[in-house]
Amino acid sequence: MRPSDWIVLLGTLGFIVIYGIWKTRGSKDIEGYLKGDNSMKWWTIGLSVMATQASAITFLSTPGQAYEDGMRFVQFYFGLPIAMVIISITVIPVFYRLNVYTAYEYLENRFDLKTRSLAAFLFLVQRGLAAGITIYAPAIILSTILGWRLNLTSIVIGLVVIIYTVSGGTKAVSVTQRQQMAVMIGGMLIAGYMVVHYLPEGISMGDAVAVAGKMGRMNIVDFSFNWNDRYNFWSGITGGLFLALSYFGTDQSQVARYLTGRSVTESRLGLLFNGLLKIPMQFMILFIGVMVFVFYQFNQPPAFFNSAARDSVFATSYAGEMQQLEAQHEAVFNQKQEAVQELVTALRSADDATIATAQAEVVRLQQASKEISSEVKGLVAKAIPGAETKDTDYVFISFVTNYLPAGLVGLLLAVILSAAMSSTASELNALASTTVIDIYKRSVKPDASDSHYLSASRWYTVAWGVIAILFATFATRQDNLIQAVNIIGSLFYGTILGIFLVAFYFKYIKGHAVFMAALLAEAVVLYCHYFTDIAFLWFNVIGCGCVILFGLVLQTVLNQRQPVR
Amino acid sequence: MNKNNKQLQQQEHRPPILGSWKKLYLLVLGNLAFLVVVFYFLTKYYE
Repeated sequence: MRPSDWIVLLGTLGFIVIYGIWKTRGSKDIEGYLKGDNSMKWWTIGLSVMATQASAITFLSTPGQAYEDGMRFVQFYFGLPIAMVIISITVIPVFYRLNVYTAYEYLENRFDLKTRSLAAFLFLVQRGLAAGITIYAPAIILSTILGWRLNLTSIVIGLVVIIYTVSGGTKAVSVTQRQQMAVMIGGMLIAGYMVVHYLPEGISMGDAVAVAGKMGRMNIVDFSFNWNDRYNFWSGITGGLFLALSYFGTDQSQVARYLTGRSVTESRLGLLFNGLLKIPMQFMILFIGVMVFVFYQFNQPPAFFNSAARDSVFATSYAGEMQQLEAQHEAVFNQKQEAVQELVTALRSADDATIATAQAEVVRLQQASKEISSEVKGLVAKAIPGAETKDTDYVFISFVTNYLPAGLVGLLLAVILSAAMSSTASELNALASTTVIDIYKRSVKPDASDSHYLSASRWYTVAWGVIAILFATFATRQDNLIQAVNIIGSLFYGTILGIFLVAFYFKYIKGHAVFMAALLAEAVVLYCHYFTDIAFLWFNVIGCGCVILFGLVLQTVLNQRQPVR
Repeated sequence: MNKNNKQLQQQEHRPPILGSWKKLYLLVLGNLAFLVVVFYFLTKYYE
């Protein structure tokens, strides 16, 4: 980090935080603090919804995922636009009509207190865990690459978010997210331009995409059906739809974003804005990852992207082996670089036979390189017991810190920290509002004054922030951070969504049946997670389907036992 | 917030573009279909 990077980083983040606090100072009542006085226009809602979903993990893990696995992760978002339409039609008008603060309030209206409390509890558990990962993910990577202290990084990110979220409530979250989204999109576009700019002379962007295609990285859509395949069209359009319905329709961190709208119209437009732009945005981030992959076909990539872990291996008795593997990796890279150049020439000749021969050679050498990388990972595991050997989260940040010029490194770090702060802020605000509205005000202290609940909301925001920081401090590494968040979400979202779908569309099912059905469905999902190989996106479908199915059966049984009078 | 404001919030106004919500929803879904088709051809083209 050079001085200009620090200036850009601290200047950008400092401006956003100070502007957010200044602009939203003096929230005086609970309505203003938790619903922003229903004053937000649709573009603020749209940007806020997108910024809430785009965490630092999105910008760290997604390009690495494209580097390793290609573009197919974009299919995960195919269900999202459909979900935006469904929520706009069915959910938003109901929430406005009932004038709710949280999504779970509606459940008491429709069922009973215990169902509302169960849904709020499931939300608090999964979002509380996810908030920790949201802070921890960038902290671990930034501390590793830049030498920052891990715990200090987590604490600083958490504290800054706590300060402006406590100060201005939901309005501060929305206001800061506008600037944060501008930084995120602007920074990523510049990074995308730079990576293409750094391709060798004579290699156009068209060549780069063609090479990526021949090396299996332009695998955007796959229509083949496989239950165990995480990302294909079918899992994206169904599992992704259920996940998006659950996330945007029932997760308070998103519901709170669009409940700040001036009207049903503004909230709907905000969600539809997200429905139009989310897939292109993810495509852009993945495409930047693919371009980084092509960049490393012409520039020597490290054998292991986590440079700190690599350096640690050199401090052990495995240093000699590591050196040998790195030499092999470099030799294969040199051969591959020539083969890729030949592939580019072949692609320009448009001769199928020449292309096929050149492609086969590149793929062979890519495989050889991958095998050496696997050996390196094995060595890292042996040399540093317990070390994380998956290095895809480090691919993009490694490119940024090693190749981007002074100032831009600071900007890209601002992108990552802005993303971390924007999603954490939404999460803390939602955790506090659910705790106060659905638990504290409803079941613990129902008759206090408005100012008491405002004060309680501030304190619960602090409390959840501290819990998230503590979780981030003690968390253990997951193989891929973005997947860790999605897996945690999928464990609970299906059940929560099932409760809401029953509430909206199955008038036959009453509170007692849906409550028991939700408990059983959650047990089924946990069983699938721990004892089967079913891809996690399907948990959303299974959990939701089980709530509806068990709900119908249980209601029928209950009706037979207690005939309706 | 007074009662009139609440009622105003809950009212479903026409969207600022395309004239009806139905058309706006179709735009979002049509955009999804368009993207899937474009992605499919990109996948096939660069395979």
